Amino acid sequence: MADPLTARLKLLIVETLRLEDVAPADIPDSEPLIGGGLSLDSIDALELVVRLEKEFGIKIASSEEARSALASVAGLAAYIRERADPTRLPS
Amino acid sequence: MAESAASVRVAACGCITPFGDAPASHAALLRGECALRPVGVLGRDGGDAVPLALVPGRSLDETAPPDWLAALRRLHGSIPEGRWGSPGSPVFVTGSNFGVGGLYALRRTGDGAFAAWGALPTCTERLRLDLGWGPDVSIVSHACVSAHLGLILASRVIGAGLADEALVLSFDFLSPFVAGGFHALKILNSDFPAPYRERDSGAIGLGDGAGFAVLSRERGDWTLSGQSLYNEMHHFTSNRADGSGFARCLDPVAGVARGRKVWFKGHGTGTLEAGRLEVGAARRAFPGAPVVGWKGSLGHTLGSCGLVELAIAIESVRTGRTPGTIGGAGSAMSDSVALESFGNREFDGVVCASNAFGGAHAAFLLGHA
Repeated sequence: MADPLTARLKLLIVETLRLEDVAPADIPDSEPLIGGGLSLDSIDALELVVRLEKEFGIKIASSEEARSALASVAGLAAYIRERADPTRLPS
Repeated sequence: MAESAASVRVAACGCITPFGDAPASHAALLRGECALRPVGVLGRDGGDAVPLALVPGRSLDETAPPDWLAALRRLHGSIPEGRWGSPGSPVFVTGSNFGVGGLYALRRTGDGAFAAWGALPTCTERLRLDLGWGPDVSIVSHACVSAHLGLILASRVIGAGLADEALVLSFDFLSPFVAGGFHALKILNSDFPAPYRERDSGAIGLGDGAGFAVLSRERGDWTLSGQSLYNEMHHFTSNRADGSGFARCLDPVAGVARGRKVWFKGHGTGTLEAGRLEVGAARRAFPGAPVVGWKGSLGHTLGSCGLVELAIAIESVRTGRTPGTIGGAGSAMSDSVALESFGNREFDGVVCASNAFGGAHAAFLLGHA
């Protein structure tokens, strides 16, 4: 069974970035989000960061931290689990 | 790509920073002082504290008329008398933001007085009337290479015989709109900028700044040559990862500087990626040239930085001492980065470079006439 946070993140990526030809299930857990198969660039990353900050009540302070957090869906999930109030995580 | 091989003279040059005029700013940089302070990014509305350097006596919040007008009038008072704005003495007004903060203030307050300074043409027309210029005034705005673009256009006007002298004035004063925009990009954070330093995350600071140069066909102790512009047209915020955009801009300047011993006044905002690309390109184009950046103290004065830092570079050459790279601690990205001040009498030129969003690059060689 898929991890609820990972599944939620994939849906957020597709919705936030309006990826018309990509389904959430198509996004691999470990593929790089920036510079990977999704072809996301730094502006996409910013859009995603803003959405993540609102959704999970976290703060991503710098562009370098954002790039690190967005290494992959699995990495992003770990990053959010470390910082977010557990009550804001999907169960 | 735009190049202007012919040299033009600088008859006068000056600036205003939070430290004061060019001599005061140069002296403060030599002392290693930092003008940046933590300021709430939204002014009176608070927000995250970010590194900003404001001219003393003004607040980040917008006023109508803008409170930066006093600083601009002071700077204008140091410009040599001339029939500025007449066909033989055109004015080029450059900057990145002009009074755009006024439009945000208009939205926040509903006070129509803010609108008059908010757009480039209306802001420039008000300045023209306030400063007593004639109608021959051009507006040049291309983000953080605006000042360079104004200099190259003014040089071309002089080179084409359309004017004997030209005034290039550049200014950028901060507002919550501008600071908030940079903060949204996650590059204006609570870390203070440390240009060209090895560390885990980058940061930039923003500063108020204004500068001017009177360019002349025959008059002046300084020359600008090899003026070069190149735009990668690659991405809104990123440069090509191979640094080729920096090289394409610097190579023509290197050709003009061949045989001279130069130092390199870099852009150096404090972002890691662009800093590495710039230092690498400078090292290849100007082997052995010490690289300095002053935005770790002054902040990035945006569209005015090219003129503000030109005025300080001229002051450095005039006094024989170049301030080192201010900001941060620890090692530099490259051994070509000068962290300490150095005597410059043995050098016979300064390469001044600026970069901007969209992969825009600009540079020129400053030398003695």
